[in-house]
Amino acid sequence: MDEILNAFARALSFGTPLLLASLGAIVNERAGVVNLGVEGMMAVGALAGFAVAYGSGTGDGNLFLAVLAAMGAGTLASLLHAFVTITLQANQFVSGLALTMLGVGVAGLLGKRFEGLPLFNQPPELPFTILAIGLALGLALAFRVTRWGLILRSVGENPAAADALGINVLGVRYLAVGIGGAMAGLAGAFLSLVYRPSWTDGMTAGLGWIAVALVIFVGWSPLRAIFGSIFFGLLYYLQFRLQGQSGIPTEVFASLPYLLVILVLALSGLRGQQGNAPESLGKPYQRGER
Amino acid sequence: MKMRWLVVLLALVLGFGLAQEKKLKACFIYIGPIGDIGWTFAHNEARLAAERAIPGLETKYVESVKPSDTGAVIDRLVSEGCNVIFTTSFDFMDATLEAAKKYPEVIFAHASGFKRAPNMATYMADFYQVYYLNGLMAGALTKGGKVGYVGAFPIPELKRHISAFALGVRAANPKATVNVKWINAWFDPTKAREAAEALIAEGNDILAFTEDTATVVQTAAKKKVPSFSHYNSMYKFAPDYVVSGQLVHWEKIYIDFLKKVKDGTYTNKNLQNVDYWWLLREGAVELGAQVGMPINPKYADALKKATMTVNGKKVSVYDRVMELLKDMSSPNPRFDPFTGPIKDRNGVLRVPAGKKMSVAELNSMQWMAPGVVGQVADEPK
Amino acid sequence: MIRLVPEPNPPRYRALWVTLGAILVAFVIAGTVFSAYGVSPLGAYRAMLEGTLFDPKGLQEVFRRTIPLLLIGVGLTLAFRTQFFNIGAEGQVLLGAVFAAGVALFVPLPAALTLPVMFVAGALGGAFWCLIAAGLKSRLGVNEILTTLMLNYVAQYMVIYLINGPWKGKDARGYIYSDQFAAPARIPVIPGTDVHWPTLLLGILLALALQFLLARTTFGYAMRVVGENPGAARYAGISTARVVLLVALLTGGAAGLAGVGEVAGIHHRLIEPLQLSSGYGFTAVIVAWLARGNPALVLLTAPLMGTILAGGDLLKVSLNMPLRVVDVFSGVMLMCLIASEVFVRNRVRWGR
Repeated sequence: MDEILNAFARALSFGTPLLLASLGAIVNERAGVVNLGVEGMMAVGALAGFAVAYGSGTGDGNLFLAVLAAMGAGTLASLLHAFVTITLQANQFVSGLALTMLGVGVAGLLGKRFEGLPLFNQPPELPFTILAIGLALGLALAFRVTRWGLILRSVGENPAAADALGINVLGVRYLAVGIGGAMAGLAGAFLSLVYRPSWTDGMTAGLGWIAVALVIFVGWSPLRAIFGSIFFGLLYYLQFRLQGQSGIPTEVFASLPYLLVILVLALSGLRGQQGNAPESLGKPYQRGER
Repeated sequence: MKMRWLVVLLALVLGFGLAQEKKLKACFIYIGPIGDIGWTFAHNEARLAAERAIPGLETKYVESVKPSDTGAVIDRLVSEGCNVIFTTSFDFMDATLEAAKKYPEVIFAHASGFKRAPNMATYMADFYQVYYLNGLMAGALTKGGKVGYVGAFPIPELKRHISAFALGVRAANPKATVNVKWINAWFDPTKAREAAEALIAEGNDILAFTEDTATVVQTAAKKKVPSFSHYNSMYKFAPDYVVSGQLVHWEKIYIDFLKKVKDGTYTNKNLQNVDYWWLLREGAVELGAQVGMPINPKYADALKKATMTVNGKKVSVYDRVMELLKDMSSPNPRFDPFTGPIKDRNGVLRVPAGKKMSVAELNSMQWMAPGVVGQVADEPK
Repeated sequence: MIRLVPEPNPPRYRALWVTLGAILVAFVIAGTVFSAYGVSPLGAYRAMLEGTLFDPKGLQEVFRRTIPLLLIGVGLTLAFRTQFFNIGAEGQVLLGAVFAAGVALFVPLPAALTLPVMFVAGALGGAFWCLIAAGLKSRLGVNEILTTLMLNYVAQYMVIYLINGPWKGKDARGYIYSDQFAAPARIPVIPGTDVHWPTLLLGILLALALQFLLARTTFGYAMRVVGENPGAARYAGISTARVVLLVALLTGGAAGLAGVGEVAGIHHRLIEPLQLSSGYGFTAVIVAWLARGNPALVLLTAPLMGTILAGGDLLKVSLNMPLRVVDVFSGVMLMCLIASEVFVRNRVRWGR
């Protein structure tokens, strides 16, 4: 029983940054903008959060401000993506890749002086997890019943029609991408303040990419994102918990999380559940274009 | 500005004075970023220490070099006037050997490898003695008889260290086990954390590890589990929970090597048999939670109360650690953890009674000592 | 407000000027980063240029990096052209290396046949890995970004499993890599360099062949239609699924060839995955994007990125700049290039 509870706790812990980042990505993808730059935004968020929380090195940094700084840094990075893809109508996939390189690179450059330093004022883990799940529930509700959710979805499904209704399509998309950036930054802060309280170049370790994959995995649904991230967190933990319990090579367990994500997606494809993607996902919107 | 000119002037004057002497420029190739708190960080600290210790020594480094780019980086460094080049990762071995043939006038030294040339030496500061001492402490401190180990890759270096650790654990606590989880990476904080969590969930109440961050120390401390610092001082990350650990002093080797190059003891013709295998005796490694603290005072009492049997006599683990540390740090150590008879964990005799393992055997060690639990794909049967 | 006015018939050389302009802007932005780091940008660029294009050793470095970028990039241009977003070239490179290493280590062959068989096997390996994603996409509608990405990780663990287990070398003394390849399984290099010229030649031929395929054949036409207007493709009786599968075969196969080049031209043994490919799979995305869907143009863009990679290394060695400089540089470059795209097709008007 303890084992099960513990595994569940690990799944929640590892799932928290994944859930935060993928919720953000769900918002911007629901508005029709793909942002593959989650990894880069997480990196700058992790650094900004750590830098503020570290303060003068005596544990005097304000944690609340640190989280805000992380979200701000993520937003700032995401706005670059927004400008290039929304205003300049560039390819969203390639811009996201560029953002990943830039974010990880800039964070690596600027973060040099924080490497190898311990953080004395570590925030507790639970509030982040509760916040993440709360946000997921809130988003699910907002998508269904609020006007705001309707506007967001209509911009992602049929921007021309939304435009005709007087909705500022580009404005909504900017906002959605900004929210995506803030959430990725928050996920980064969770990593550098809570999950592993310190800063190291490369510490996001591919989690941003997994968050991007999760969005597709959960079919752009915030509710399912909760289960998706817990599922992945559980698999990630189990690869170590199950290691050595049988003759199966450790590498098989290590690749299991990735293989299972593919498998589950293929199974849901078999049952014909791939139609959830927003209709205009990845397509720039230009007035007068139909 | 003025100061800088003064320095330049001074350097020029001094330079004239030393004009006959060939200028020594030592260049370092690192596998990782200097900002990790593991392997590369330690080499870089040692480079800076060597710079301070040897007047007139100029140094340069290149970080995060891929093994496939080693040859090109060496080309570059040679053309910039480097006359001693340290390649600080096992992965650089073949490229270094090729470069040594290509540039016979340059002196090379390769860390942790086994290939040498007339102008290429090898060097290693090894921890296996320190791991044994850590093992004694872990064995004394574990309540449930289970010690966890987060390992990077199952290569000889780690097998040697984990086996030495396990021999120590069993010497203090004959029924205890060392449970290993591999993460298949030198640097991966998320894997290190989850592996440590899994070990704690399985009832391991002391942790040790090989990974280039302080993640395991931090994770263990959160669960109030004591752990051992790895490679650099990680005491500051969890002062209440770091018992002891392994610290490295590469500068001992670098300073010795460079001084001998400078005074002409080492040339580009006589390095074929120069292999530094430096241990506690030479001060290249240190037992400690941080420099100068062999055992965290918080754990001294518990270790003094714990007893073990040595040659039929009961002694406290604390005293045993201190005694062996003193012995292995002396010019002629009598004790070595890998002194036979030692059987591997499958019961095969690996070190006959009265024999010690040679450096070559330690360097290509494949088997695991009794008490180690965990998967090893290529274990000899 | 910026307003974009589409131009149906942009002047012929506009794309060229805009691209050059974007590269210039990228250099200016990266230059400010350099000066923020206390390095004179002009000095840095001069060092980069002198140390790569005007230095024999530097030039050889440029070529060594160009080879994988060329092969992967050529394949990716086709993939992007058909809206198949393959970002798993990294994994396909690894599979190519694994298949080639399997032949080199375990298949007894006459010396003359060894390398050709290795190349074929490598191409099959890369293609196989890419086909998994393509098959799932065309059959079940599974998003290929997700699958190609996930398969990268799986490929990494597969390599680790092999060199850590069944393929672990006997001369490796317990370290994790395979045995060295015998002489016939090593790609010849230009003497004194690491430039494995047969792979380079293969890349050039592939670029030209695929350009021909795209421009002059029915299959090329089908690819263009599928990429530009999937609706019309259905109308014209073109099977999108079939086109995607064939493109995956080509793009994965090309990446697999790059893997053969790396493993048999440079390392001569199967090694740790992160050391094997050096992130070429992601850099090649820039290469392919720069070529704007034309495989032949990769012949220009691959050396360009090769120069930047080699130059970035130079900054690391000569000016002791940190490793991430190369990432920032590539990111800025890519960002500027895709942002510039819009100025090829549109004129910019200020105001409403």
